[in-house]
This record gives sequence, structure tokens and C-alpha cells, in this order.
Amino acid sequence: MTMQSPPPPTPPHKGEGRSTPLPIEVRGLRKVFRQATSGQAVVAIDRLDLVIQPKEVIAIVGQTGCGKSTFFDLMIGLEEPTEGAILIGGKSPSGDFDAFRGKIATVFQQDRLLPWRSALDNAKLPLELTGVPEAEQRERALTWLNKLGLAKFTNAYPHELSGGMRQRVAIARAFAVEPEILLADEAFGHLDEVTAAELRETFLKLARESGATAILITHQLEEAIAVGDRIAVFGQSAKLLADIHVARWAEGDYGTLREAIQQTLQNQKPDPRLHD
Amino acid sequence: MPLEEHREQVPVLKFPRQTIVSLLVFAVVWEILSHLSPYLGIPPFAIPSLLRIAKSMTTITPIDVAVTLARVIAALIASFAFGLALAMVMYNSRMLDEYLHPMIRILMAVPVVSWILFAVLWFPGVEFRIGFVLVVVCGPVFLVDTLDAMRNVPRDLRQMMRSFRPTTWQFFIKLMLPAIVPTIFTSWKVNISLAIRVVTIAELVGAVTGIGHQLSVAQELFSVSDVFAWTVVLVALLFLLEAGVARVEHRLLRWRA
Repeated sequence: MTMQSPPPPTPPHKGEGRSTPLPIEVRGLRKVFRQATSGQAVVAIDRLDLVIQPKEVIAIVGQTGCGKSTFFDLMIGLEEPTEGAILIGGKSPSGDFDAFRGKIATVFQQDRLLPWRSALDNAKLPLELTGVPEAEQRERALTWLNKLGLAKFTNAYPHELSGGMRQRVAIARAFAVEPEILLADEAFGHLDEVTAAELRETFLKLARESGATAILITHQLEEAIAVGDRIAVFGQSAKLLADIHVARWAEGDYGTLREAIQQTLQNQKPDPRLHD
Repeated sequence: MPLEEHREQVPVLKFPRQTIVSLLVFAVVWEILSHLSPYLGIPPFAIPSLLRIAKSMTTITPIDVAVTLARVIAALIASFAFGLALAMVMYNSRMLDEYLHPMIRILMAVPVVSWILFAVLWFPGVEFRIGFVLVVVCGPVFLVDTLDAMRNVPRDLRQMMRSFRPTTWQFFIKLMLPAIVPTIFTSWKVNISLAIRVVTIAELVGAVTGIGHQLSVAQELFSVSDVFAWTVVLVALLFLLEAGVARVEHRLLRWRA
């Protein structure tokens, strides 16, 4: 993928609000990698179809190596599909790469903060790339750092922060640009359970408040169920084994839901209990 | 943990006890050898006394020091600019990288003396000759170090940056350049040492000013004390330049744990 060098798009004026939310359509998506040494083809994603509605919060759960991270890279636009397409508002995130500047934001498993930038400067980074005026960059970044409980640490460098705090900065960085689509790839997986639960709750609250479409990729069933709205269960090669609307399950039945998803993953076919 | 900026005083030069003791022992041994040289069959001028060397130090001409320093600094800046620009181009273009890489390796393999002789034969102007030699020797070192550092910027950070869709320029300015700053400082320290030695040889052969030229005059006069004195100046110059770079490095890299 080559990077274009057009001038950044004009940022929205303060208070203008987000544009019309973008639906996400995945049609016949296929991604094949060729191993460099042997030339052997590896099918990472095999004909995935999925539709994600605007403002939906969806968890994608599957075992390690099932294609979740490949799907994540395709959603960001860092990889191109071998066949099929991902369309966000009718455009391809890889083909129309620059059109999505400021519209897609990511939170990775590791914080991936720039070590030479303070917490505030890290949170400002995507705003700098979209041409937001300096004063507004600072204001928005500070706002999000405050929401994430980091008001007293804006001048701290990443090495001066705990793992949980660094991940909060990464989340602030993602929200600061006010994206249409938020992608989180195992964003809480490396944290201890207490910190992860707290951060996950904060993330989801902020995601719903912001009105963004949020896609969380996880291998943890508890996390997938805690996310809310929908759970897409991926089998090997990202085969969609089950598409679950969590609202149809009573909270008291979450144990059954967890078991059903577990069985689905183990058997690589939908558990009967997941049928509507 | 305090988060306010630390303002540590960075000493320009450090002289720990061990360094001072080593230098004193060397000075004492040298002085003893100087006094014993007639009995050892060594010509008196070969190991001058410390007093003689100190007298030579008083005849150091500041203008020659300034000229050498100016040549070194100007050439290092030009070499760095050339190396960095070419590294950015080669990082961005695999084809150019593949074609230029063998030439860079050949350039680096050519001995300094050969470059000096080429310069004397090709160019009439003394300053251009010296500048040419310095840039052709130091430039590839900057280039290789910078390019390697760019390639070693963690994939995670590059992927994170790309996910936010920067322009090519933004990608370099906001990620690549800051990420390679530690390597740039290391490369500068290496090149300062290299440049001091190269400029000395270049001035020795083809210049009428500078420390190298003065060393040539001292050699023709068989004045070991003058050679010693100018060598001390060269070493001091090297240490001062390195200390200057270290000071800037300390300031710019305060974000490191």
C-alpha cells in the first residue's frame, strides 16, 4: 500500500458535530497470504459476510489465529482484500485510504504511544494529522485525558505512566479525533482483570456517548459479553459461526450464552442454543 | 513521582579521579623518559620535556584552531544533511535503495588517503578539496546509520501511525525523524571523531592553514614538542565537540527512562 500525499482535509469546525454515521458492509471478504519462504498460500479470511450498523457496538470473538487481527488490519485499510470488499459508507478503507483520515481511530493491544511525546502530545497526534488548529488540538486532547482520569498526568512521558494509564492515553488519542469508527484490537487483554474491567467500562461508556461505531476484537468471552449490542463469533479463517444480539439474552442467562459460544468455538459450528 | 521537568546540570567535561591519576602517571613516566633519553640512545628532540611541550602550547595559533574547527563543523552539517536526505529517499524507494546501496558500500571502502589524492588531482581549490573529502567520508556513515535506524523503527509504531493516515511528510516528521534521533546522536559522535582525523590528514597534504598544516610544519622542523602540543589541541577539540553533542543529546532525549 503506498501513501498518498494530498493536503489534509479541512477539519470540521468546533461544534459542527459528526457527519452522517457510516454503515459497514463486508461482502465475500477473502484474504490470502503467501508465505515468503515456501510460497504456500494461507487463507486468513475465507468469504466473510457481515453488516455492521452505524453506532453499533460489536465484539468479534474467536480463538487465536482465526483471522481476527487480519480482519482488523483490513478494516483499518492497512491490508487489501484478496477478494471481496469492505465498504464503509460505500468506500473501501484501503482503496480510498486518505478519505478516512479522521474517521477511523484505533486502540491496539499495546498502547503504542510515542515515547518521546508526553501524554498530552500523544493524545493530540491524530488531530495534528487532520489539520485541526493548535488551540483546538490542545483543548480536545485535554478534554479526553480528563474524561479518562489523567488530568494530572498530561505532561508525563509514557515511561512515567503505568500500563493502565498508558492504555488510557491511547484511548484518549483515539477518541480525541472524534472518529466515526472506533476499532479496538484486544485493547484490554494485557491488563490485569480489575484494570481491564474498569477501562473496558469507561471505553464503552465513552463510545456510546460519542455515537461512534465501535468494533472490539477479543479472544475473551467475558469481555465479548460485557461489550453489549452484538457478538460475532469467528471460526477458523474468520468463518462467521454465529451472530448474536446480546439484548435477546437476559442477564441471568449469560452463563448459558458463554457456554454456547464456547461450544461453538470448540466444535467450529453454531451451538443450537444460539439459534433465535 | 514528580512530573515537573528536571533541570540537571550536565558538566561539559568530566574528569573522574581515575582519569586524573592515569594522566599523572603518564606525565611522570614521560618526564622520566625525557631525562633518561640520552642514556637510552634516544635523540633529545624525540621525547621533549613537559616544560618544552608547555612552551610549545603557548605558541598555538588560535586562527588555525578556528579554521580546522570551522571546516569540521561545516562538513559535518553538510554530510548529515546529505546523508539524511538520501536515507529518506532510499527508505521510500526500494528500487533506488537497491541501486544505490552497492555504490554506498564502495564509497565507504575507499581509503581516506585515496580520497585526498583524488581531491588534490581533481579540484584546484583547497577548501573545496577538504570539504569534498570530509563529506565523501562522513556522508555515507550518516546515510547508513540513518537508514538502518529508520528500518528499525518498531513495526507497531509504524502501523499505529499509518492507521491515522498521515501524509508521507507527516509520517517522516512526526514518527521517523524523532524515532531515529538517538541513532543520529550516536552517528554524530562517531563522525566527529572521524572528521577530526580526516581533516587533519587532508590539511597535512594540501592546506596552508589549519591544525593539519601546523603538524606538517612541526614535522619538517623535527619539533616533537610542537607535534605533541597540536595533538593535545586536536584531542581537546574532539572532547569538546563530543561534550557539546552530549549536552544537546541530554536535552533532547530527556524523555528516555
